[in-house]
Amino acid sequence: MLFNSIDFAIFLPVVFVLYWFVFKNKLKLQNLFILGASYFFYASWDWRFLSLIVFSTLIDYSVGVYLAKENKAYKRKLLLYVSLLSNVGILVFFKYYNFFLDNFIEVFSFFGRNISPKSLNLILPVGISFYTFQTLSYTIDVYRKKLEPTKDIIAFSAFVSFFPQLVAGPIERATNLLPQFYKNRTFNYQQATDGLRQILWGLFKKVVIADNCAEYVNQIFNNTSEYSGSTLALGAVLFSFQIYGDFSGYSDIAIGTSRLFGFNLMQNFAFPYFSRDIAEFWRRWHISLSTWFRDYVYIPLGGSRGSLIKTISNVFIIFIVSGFWHGANWTFIIWGVLNALYFLPQLILKTNRNNIEIVAKGKLFLSLREFFAISITFCLTTLAWVFFRAENFNHAIAYLSSMITNGASYLDINIYWQYKGVIGLIITLIIIEWFGRDNKHALEALVTKLNRPLRYTFYYLIILVIIWYSGKGEEFIYFQF
Amino acid sequence: MRRFIKNSLLFLCLLYVILLALDIYLSKYLKSSHEFSGEIEVWEDIYKSNLDLDVAIYGSSRAFVHFNSQILNDSLRLSTYNFGVDGHNFWLQYYRHKEYLKYNPAPKTIIIAVDMFSLAKREDLYNQHQFLPYMLWNHSLRETLSDYDGYHSAEYYIPFIRYFGKRKKLPLLSAIISNKKQVKPYRNLGYRGMDRKWNKDFENAKKKMKSYEVKQHKPSVNLFEKFIVECKEMNINLVLVYSPQYIEGQNFIKNKEEVVKVFENFSDKYNLEFLNYSNNKISFDKSLFYNSNHLNKTGADIFTSTFANDFKKIISYRFDY
Repeated sequence: MLFNSIDFAIFLPVVFVLYWFVFKNKLKLQNLFILGASYFFYASWDWRFLSLIVFSTLIDYSVGVYLAKENKAYKRKLLLYVSLLSNVGILVFFKYYNFFLDNFIEVFSFFGRNISPKSLNLILPVGISFYTFQTLSYTIDVYRKKLEPTKDIIAFSAFVSFFPQLVAGPIERATNLLPQFYKNRTFNYQQATDGLRQILWGLFKKVVIADNCAEYVNQIFNNTSEYSGSTLALGAVLFSFQIYGDFSGYSDIAIGTSRLFGFNLMQNFAFPYFSRDIAEFWRRWHISLSTWFRDYVYIPLGGSRGSLIKTISNVFIIFIVSGFWHGANWTFIIWGVLNALYFLPQLILKTNRNNIEIVAKGKLFLSLREFFAISITFCLTTLAWVFFRAENFNHAIAYLSSMITNGASYLDINIYWQYKGVIGLIITLIIIEWFGRDNKHALEALVTKLNRPLRYTFYYLIILVIIWYSGKGEEFIYFQF
Repeated sequence: MRRFIKNSLLFLCLLYVILLALDIYLSKYLKSSHEFSGEIEVWEDIYKSNLDLDVAIYGSSRAFVHFNSQILNDSLRLSTYNFGVDGHNFWLQYYRHKEYLKYNPAPKTIIIAVDMFSLAKREDLYNQHQFLPYMLWNHSLRETLSDYDGYHSAEYYIPFIRYFGKRKKLPLLSAIISNKKQVKPYRNLGYRGMDRKWNKDFENAKKKMKSYEVKQHKPSVNLFEKFIVECKEMNINLVLVYSPQYIEGQNFIKNKEEVVKVFENFSDKYNLEFLNYSNNKISFDKSLFYNSNHLNKTGADIFTSTFANDFKKIISYRFDY
């Protein structure tokens, strides 16, 4: 059930009405209902993989219960390993089995030995990378005694499978989301209406921006040799907006939907394309994953507390693991390495925390220097996205080399004119996001800036644009991760 | 909560009105479209009650490109219209029949062009955009199309949302709206002559498979029988016609005899004329076809003249005109 489908447009109001009217003031029943709705939501993708969620839930719930009783360090560690092995084991099996197998075969054949082990035709369960990380955060926090283990299996199961963020995040921390299942939730008008605004904006980003860009991106990336350098550059830029619209759009819908039910999820995107350097970009892009790796991998590795060499190696580890998390393909690993390389100068020069606040905060326009800084950061990330989008390493290299050698300076006006519609939509996105950049989502401040008739007109316009300019209705890119 | 519900309802009501207005506007202009194999032209003739006919021709694309209504009109001196639905079997042909009778007087005779796929099941909703202007609150259409992998139920009841994502699939839409493009009607009295030469459709099909076995769809067979009974009850003359099919294409169908037998059985059971041209010399002349199933314009004109002569004989000894 896609967020941009009619099925979800029916599912959401039905769940909303039952949740607030039938199960109102009955916390246990509300949680049980959320659990049922979440399992139904997940089963609409593929009911067979529900068993994996249930398995993961039971493992981590049980480990949490035993961790609460256990004081001996080695036994606690053993319990942690049980959780790690189970969750990471499932993830590795479904996501990386064939990747490792293919690479083993290549390594063996390089040394002149041909092996033919059996590759499996595995389907990647939707959202597996997200919910395994979410449930792992619970076990690790309980192990670290940062969180009291729960005895409420319904609340815990609902936390693991909470439908708005089940299949593509944000990857919630148990410390933030789980306690929200313990407390009575009261309906908050402001929270709910702002949730709806966020859903609307998320739909615009996904359906209008991402899906329209996708059409051209697929065309350009699938026929790399047929296009001029300037068109390939445009293709890369369009992919930057496709992936942003797709993933941040999903996150907005997920967060907005949660707010309708009285839950607050963490912000996942904070206008990353307005970043003035790579460090800032990574503080604003897929925040829930970046902070997860920071808290559960980077800091345990020593973070920036050791020597510069140690810090650099930790940064590389984080970016490589992050790349690998996205998929079992060398292109993702190279994408990670590339971002680590971008980050390196800032780390050495200790300028990685120079830009904490949003650009031109409180001002209408940015300075020329900020404009250049943003442009350079955008170009660097766009270059890296080519590896993210390419089918394989050779494709990425061919794309980039054609971009440079195949008449990069020649601007194919006809092609650009052909893409005027999507370029116009992207400009609209940038303008609206620019005016909303001080907030958690672009439309948050709308309520204070426009009076009701104007606001309604704006909403209707967005809805009509969504209906009329919607693209092909592609799946969310991050579902494959 | 009360405030939220009140404001949400107000917002949705206003939205509904806006969407309805847009729906009416867009559907109105789409109704003048000549796209989608000219299907909208036929629907419009039906819904505008333009048709007071002696002879109605039913069938699939094989009907609409094989039976030249103008030749039949001229040679038989009977008002004729071709209702052939491109890409669809009897399941949808029956819906068109019902809609036709709802808005127009019944014809004296129905010629139903049957073929290998008339009583088979099609999963996808081929040429689905032809239904766009007529879908809103159309319960009978929803029921008919519910078996196809096409529209969501909500798209029949919430205005405008069925146009979601269709902007690029309706290339003529913007042109129609701005009245920039004047397009000639695609069909003439429901018929379209295809001025084409033999293409590679059949060769491509042969590359994919050695032969093809047609699976009869039991509900379609039952519906076909129901249709025959209804026509009898309404005193509508019914003639079954198997129009020419290129011989190699016929041999490609593994169970051709079995499929034809179904129509022969209906013909015997209900005492219907069944004109089978599968062994007519036209079916052996490749130059008259553009693929194994469809006659080109020359072929269609030759066939229609042949059929007109045969039909005249039937009229003279069976029907009261």
